[in-house]
Amino acid sequence: MAEMWISMGPQHPMTHGLWTLKVKVDGETVVDTEPDLGYIHRGVEKICEARDFTQITTYCDRLCYASANTWSHAWIYAAEDLLEVEVPERAEYIRMVAVELQRIASHLMWLGAYCPDVGNLTGMVWCLREREMMMDLLQELGGSRMHYNFPRVGGVKRDLPIGFAMRCRAKLKLFLDRIQEYEAILDESTIFLVRTQGVGYAKAEEMINHGVTGPNTRAAGHDYDVRWAHPYSIYDELDWSPAVERPSIKGSDCYDRYRVRVEEMRQSALMVLEGLDKMPGGSETHHESGDPAILGKAPARAAEGKTGFHHFEDSRGESMFYIAGGGEARGKHPYRVSIRSPMFITIPYAAKCMIGYKIADIPAIMGSFDPCIGETDR
Amino acid sequence: MTDDILNVRGWVESASQFLAEATVGQSRHWGFVDSVAFFLTELIMAIVIFGAIMNTLLVLLWMERKLLGRFMDRRGAVTSLRSLWVGENGVTAGEWWNQLPFGVGKPIGGINRALNRIAGNDHELEAVRRVQNRSYHGVWWLFPGFFQNLADGMKFLTKEHMVPEKSDRFVYEVAPFLIIATTVMCFTFIPLGPHFFSNNSEMSILFLMAVFSVAPLGVFFAGWSSNNKYTLLGGIRSAAQLTAYEIPLLVTVLSVVVISGSFNMIEVIEFQANSGVWNIFLLPLGGLLFLVVMVAEVERIPFDMPEAEAELVEGWWTEYGGMRWGLMFAAEYLRTYAACLLFAHFFLGGWEAPFEDTIPFISMVPHVLWVFLKAWFMFIFFVWFRAALHRVRTDQILEFGWCYLLPLSLVNLAMAAALRLWVYDGVAGEWPILVPILITSIGLALFVLLAIDEDPEALAAQTRPYSVQTTDAAGPGQHRE
Amino acid sequence: MAKELSADQIQSAAEALVGSVAEKFTGSATAEVRHHTGGRRKNAYVYIDVEAAAWRDLATWLAKSHKVDHCSMITGIHWPEKADATWQVVAHLMRTGVRNPGVVSGRVHEIKVDIDALVGVDVPLEFEISMTLAETREPSVPSVADIWVGADWNEKETWDLVGIEFEGHVGMRRVLLPHDSPTGYHPLQKQHKLRYHDFNEMYDDAQGFGRKPEDVGRVK
Repeated sequence: MAEMWISMGPQHPMTHGLWTLKVKVDGETVVDTEPDLGYIHRGVEKICEARDFTQITTYCDRLCYASANTWSHAWIYAAEDLLEVEVPERAEYIRMVAVELQRIASHLMWLGAYCPDVGNLTGMVWCLREREMMMDLLQELGGSRMHYNFPRVGGVKRDLPIGFAMRCRAKLKLFLDRIQEYEAILDESTIFLVRTQGVGYAKAEEMINHGVTGPNTRAAGHDYDVRWAHPYSIYDELDWSPAVERPSIKGSDCYDRYRVRVEEMRQSALMVLEGLDKMPGGSETHHESGDPAILGKAPARAAEGKTGFHHFEDSRGESMFYIAGGGEARGKHPYRVSIRSPMFITIPYAAKCMIGYKIADIPAIMGSFDPCIGETDR
Repeated sequence: MTDDILNVRGWVESASQFLAEATVGQSRHWGFVDSVAFFLTELIMAIVIFGAIMNTLLVLLWMERKLLGRFMDRRGAVTSLRSLWVGENGVTAGEWWNQLPFGVGKPIGGINRALNRIAGNDHELEAVRRVQNRSYHGVWWLFPGFFQNLADGMKFLTKEHMVPEKSDRFVYEVAPFLIIATTVMCFTFIPLGPHFFSNNSEMSILFLMAVFSVAPLGVFFAGWSSNNKYTLLGGIRSAAQLTAYEIPLLVTVLSVVVISGSFNMIEVIEFQANSGVWNIFLLPLGGLLFLVVMVAEVERIPFDMPEAEAELVEGWWTEYGGMRWGLMFAAEYLRTYAACLLFAHFFLGGWEAPFEDTIPFISMVPHVLWVFLKAWFMFIFFVWFRAALHRVRTDQILEFGWCYLLPLSLVNLAMAAALRLWVYDGVAGEWPILVPILITSIGLALFVLLAIDEDPEALAAQTRPYSVQTTDAAGPGQHRE
Repeated sequence: MAKELSADQIQSAAEALVGSVAEKFTGSATAEVRHHTGGRRKNAYVYIDVEAAAWRDLATWLAKSHKVDHCSMITGIHWPEKADATWQVVAHLMRTGVRNPGVVSGRVHEIKVDIDALVGVDVPLEFEISMTLAETREPSVPSVADIWVGADWNEKETWDLVGIEFEGHVGMRRVLLPHDSPTGYHPLQKQHKLRYHDFNEMYDDAQGFGRKPEDVGRVK
């Protein structure tokens, strides 16, 4: 059969979002790929030039809707750099709880979408079931199930609700048991292993040169993580280590990327449990919104000529916000906000990874890199 | 032939004989009375069997829906069971045992709580129980959701019939016809009871397999004619897959024929009834092979690459809408049903009740019930595979079929021939009781041993919590170290 | 507790690098150590102000001799009010230290970095590199997509949205805007105004649904 271009997308169950992957196939083998992004480009960077810092937080939730807290917190750290704000310690702990719970929810969404990609319908239902628990917790914290608008410049918008710590501990304890169920249906299934091992090889140095970071690179054998390499927040006070996999000689395959995320889910759950124990003031106290224990003082305007940026460990890699402040005339609105999305850079790399494999490997490979188009297109 | 109180064939025969004599017999073509009576019998029996199958198809679809949901709810074993009869009309959703008078239901509640605790569903927190509680609402005295599929089927009648503009119109229209017609034709050859059959020809198994195998052609027609790269890929994958699995299928069926001594389906079943041993105990490998190959033939997970939703959206039937799609979807389930019935006939003794000779009065039960029960029981395995397993990649499916199943089916055939010639015909004219016991125990032992794969090295290195090293990954040059 | 790079390690690494930049690129680049906050931390990073012509040399030198292996973002800003620095390209680079895990007796061993053993060129570090161009209708800086492939799509996006060309970039095309966007249309330039906030006329209510008679003359 001659070579032909197939267009996967923009409407396609595999793509996990709105984009097109044009694939050139020779029979069943992929010969070339070309990703086509930008379908949900909403112009967030331009909009941010006309909003003030608190308003922009809501936009950042909607960048990657599956992982909203990580994006709004990335923004808020950058805004705090710009405005030179000091954050109280309790607020940092609460932020950590929110971010790590969100990381678990995001990885569960990923796994819940990855299982049907390789054909297992049961895994999807199980992962979404646990994600409901996480979303309940995040709803208690932030007020809604997906877009929380949780951090404020200088702290968080409200404290842990009363009883939250107890519910969180109960749910996470159940969740840690349930992870073993996922491993049972996936790791013990020869078919899953045959579908994901040996497929989609990627090496660490090549990945970092291509700008791919996060769980994808940790799957390739190096435990680089922004949380320890470019430290922020209170991660050093918790007992954790980045989840890193041992790849094969040819590089990391889809199976390694899957295992890294499962380990990360465990890590995040343990981090949250520990954070609740170590919270200054205790996890049962509840301060009113605006209390200085959870919200520091923040100026409304940036200093003249100041810029701010922050690299953040997002569920999908290293994300970054760069803000150029505007000076007196534009004080409350930033002059330029620039958003670095890990997926924007990873998707072309993943498309390159697919060359040489079969069409049936496309969802396995693409899914293993965990695409989220909201942050890609901004 | 086994006796049966439900002598449908006998009634139909006498009715058509009467009819034929009353009409043709009175005319100058009176020589044709017997042929006309035979024709009428066959026609009516075929319609009756088709009706029986179509009505009981609802059971299959209902089983699939409910079982799949419950398999997916693995930890909620007790909750799921309870959900079968939870309902409205005054019965509280959930703890219905509390409604029983005189506190009679309290021990049931205790058992329920204990079972939930064992299964790990014992969280007190409402917020956590939320992910464990699934109650279904339905009319409590009838299996809930039974007619859902009928409603679904009727829905298809209301949908638009679209033909893609540049498609090959004739082939596009012919393809679903081919698929559904040949599938329905298969059921003529499947007897539902000793006196509930339509066709009793000498070579019925051969003809059945031949007709069963025409459907892949229809699938390929559908994929090709839709003028769509995705359907083309799906059609080609399907053609390759189904062709690859025809051969192990036929060889396995041949092994059953060899061991039973006839190509006639009814004689195969009678052989199992008379010799007292079901074929599954003589050919456990054959049974397993037949099951796996049939899952591939009907394109269910784990072998549903041709319609793999994640890659090809719906594969070869993407462009079909309305009742044409509904019929092809029904054809898939009809073929599954045929596969289950064939398994019951070939390996599980067909219409014979278990321990028929020893349990008194069991022959009062109409034999058609045993056929259906066995077929529905086999269907549980089909659903189980679908819930638990993943989709295998096309080239891995083909490799599996050609490189693993085909040799195994030949081994199975050799075993069947050896058993028949040397043991049955050679020794006694019957199966010595030791033979099936020995074969079954060896088979079970092998299955258990092969099902446990441990990689002691990886276990020791603690690289994986559950250490399974796979077969070499399929595909050129892609091997895991 | 968990490992974390200490502020001192980062500070000394930053200072060492700033020193080398000063030696190598006197005149074309100025480097300094700045600090950015991360919640309650203050991390040092290297800020380099370089001339556009020297960007490629700086990039190559950083990548080869100082193991700067990750191009995080390349973005552009349009300052129409500054005539001498109308176009600014800001590149954020990082030194991550990621390398392929080694193979010992046929088995790969994953790398778990020992923080205390990190010295000199191995310490992870953040960079912010800024270059400005005077007012021109065709702003252009050299492309570094062949040094870091991660810069490839960043440069595409910068050209697509801001309009700054990258010399030597192969395969420049629209990535976020539709492929058939008008030539010369780069929305993040400041002459393209945001509706409703930069106009006095009422554009956000195109059909006038919310307008009442008393709203005449009012900006909503």
